[in-house]
Amino acid sequence: MPRRFSSKPRLAATRRHFLQGSAAAIAGIALSNCGGVSDVQSSDAGAEPTEDGDAGSAASGASGPLYIYTWADYTDDQLVQRFRDKTGIDVQIDIYDSNETMLAKMQAGGGDNYSVIYPSDYMVTQMIDMGMLTEFDKSRLQGLDQLSPKWESPGYDPDNSHSVPYSWGTTGLIYNSKELSTAPADWTYLWDNKDALSRRMTMLDDVRETLGAVLHSLGYSYNSTDPAELEAAYQRLLELKPALASFKSFGWQDELLGGDLLLAMAFSVEAIPVTLEDDTFQYVIPASGSSVWTDTMVIPTTAPNADAAYEWINFNLNPDVSAETVKRLYFATPNAAAKDMLPEELLSNQDLFPSEELLAKCEGIAPVGDAIELYDRYWTQITSA
Amino acid sequence: MANLPLTPASSTRLEWFDRWRYRLVRLIGPLALLGPAGLWLFLLLVLPTLLILQLSLVPGLRPGQAITAYGLGNYTRILDSVYLGVIGRSLTFASGTMLLCLLLGFPVAYWIALMAPKRWRSLLLVLFILPLWTSTLLRTYAWVTLLRRSGIINLILSALHLPTQDIMNTHWAVYVGMTYDFLPYMVLILYASLEKLDQRLLEAAADLGANPRQTFWKVTVPQTLPGIAAGCLLVFVTSLGDFVVPTLLGGTSSKTISLLIYDQFLGPARNWGFGSALSMVLILAVSLAIALLLRYGNREAAAA
Repeated sequence: MPRRFSSKPRLAATRRHFLQGSAAAIAGIALSNCGGVSDVQSSDAGAEPTEDGDAGSAASGASGPLYIYTWADYTDDQLVQRFRDKTGIDVQIDIYDSNETMLAKMQAGGGDNYSVIYPSDYMVTQMIDMGMLTEFDKSRLQGLDQLSPKWESPGYDPDNSHSVPYSWGTTGLIYNSKELSTAPADWTYLWDNKDALSRRMTMLDDVRETLGAVLHSLGYSYNSTDPAELEAAYQRLLELKPALASFKSFGWQDELLGGDLLLAMAFSVEAIPVTLEDDTFQYVIPASGSSVWTDTMVIPTTAPNADAAYEWINFNLNPDVSAETVKRLYFATPNAAAKDMLPEELLSNQDLFPSEELLAKCEGIAPVGDAIELYDRYWTQITSA
Repeated sequence: MANLPLTPASSTRLEWFDRWRYRLVRLIGPLALLGPAGLWLFLLLVLPTLLILQLSLVPGLRPGQAITAYGLGNYTRILDSVYLGVIGRSLTFASGTMLLCLLLGFPVAYWIALMAPKRWRSLLLVLFILPLWTSTLLRTYAWVTLLRRSGIINLILSALHLPTQDIMNTHWAVYVGMTYDFLPYMVLILYASLEKLDQRLLEAAADLGANPRQTFWKVTVPQTLPGIAAGCLLVFVTSLGDFVVPTLLGGTSSKTISLLIYDQFLGPARNWGFGSALSMVLILAVSLAIALLLRYGNREAAAA
């Protein structure tokens, strides 16, 4: 999901990461503004690339360091360390903040050293269409049979032929339960309470999520391509706009904790650590449903070290490893065997694992083809008028 | 060439060789001095600009696609009222910032250059440009801390029992942030201009009976006009391309042309052709402003 940033359970860390994340994002804009398509890279402290590029053969048979391109907070030092202990392969991790940034870098050839990347569902479809992803040799993957039934053959990549689901989550609303007299139940809450929330709420700076949520609240699809429906959603969002403080995908934590904001539209993986730290803040998935997303592990066709990439994917498919990662980083896992190993307190967390009934009302964001131009135009109109 | 001994009869082979060697040396000098920067400019400025120009002529180009047909579709699309609105907003932000910087910067530069004790001048100037030593991003975050609802300004206002202000996420916040960011440039340039001011002319004006106001408008301002123009241009051009301040302080309706270009390259639409056309318009607008300054500046110099 676009522009997700670090959000560790400790609030001090959250603020620090928020600054780093924003700095990275702005620097990303800076670079792209210069006409380049480069991206900000932050290296994982735990990993150092070995000097011998392809020559050194590790115990497993894979060679050289493994370069991974992923979201913030999808990996940590412990995970990398454990992988190195097991396989002897060094790992170098770079971070991106949106699928589009990652795609631009891969297309411009700036990502030729990555052997594993983590695109979201709709981006997987797009990248398969562009022939950018390697089709898996299934005999080399262990643990695909442990995935929850929902991810056995996901719509964005039937049969998981090019991608292995790594994590999933939802988009919803996080709010200050002490300041709001009634809890938000559905999207309509925003319109019904726009005076009380005036200039103290934010929505995501992401046209597909925000305009999509409005489409969904009107009874249309997140992936609508009907101009009349888009126009209706645009008008409805325009109605809410004066009450919005800004469109923000990251950095809302600081303002929510500081009391400037009462409510923010957020990705579950960002919101849950905040709710676990301070129960003043509650996360809710709107009753009529919202968007549900999956992030995956893929091997680009340009991958220089496919052997190590398979090692990494298999390592992460290991239920024990997967469960440990979820306990530290708070994303929902599509791995049924790993889910069984989670403590009750996480399993019963409805924010992390919403009910099937609610999930059935949620929708995945899929590519909309040329209609994206229309989305983009409406978005420009909303953010400039 | 003048110091080469050239006699009509001296066209021997050796002298011919000497002459060419001399010419070569004369060529190598400038080449060695200008070459590295020239290459740098060519590879990193001219070539990319030409590439952007090429991309801008392919309507609806997305990365990874082959270039099929050229056309001006991207440029006619800019005439859409939505995009013209964005350009208009950027121009408003830039000219507003320019005026604010001039209004705030001129008195400061005037005081430092003409009224402050001489031995303090350098120190005062350094103090004024000190903020430039930190990153724009950090300074903008500092404004978030100051302006936000629970921020320092509002804390002080409420301690004084004054009504709190909701400035954060408005256009005013953008003006505040941009003016703060670019004021040091304006002061620096105006200072350089005011420092060279011929003080005898001021005295002469006073002797001839002009009051301070007349002296200011008829002597000081015309003499510093090139500095004013240069300062204004620099502030205008930099704020036209700014995206940090509008992003962090601007709220829901502060999309500027640089953010629009960013959206076209790294947003969901990924229309690199349209993004390139917008970039070309921005480059042309800035070039035009500089050309105007050069012409205006020259005329000013000629008149002086």
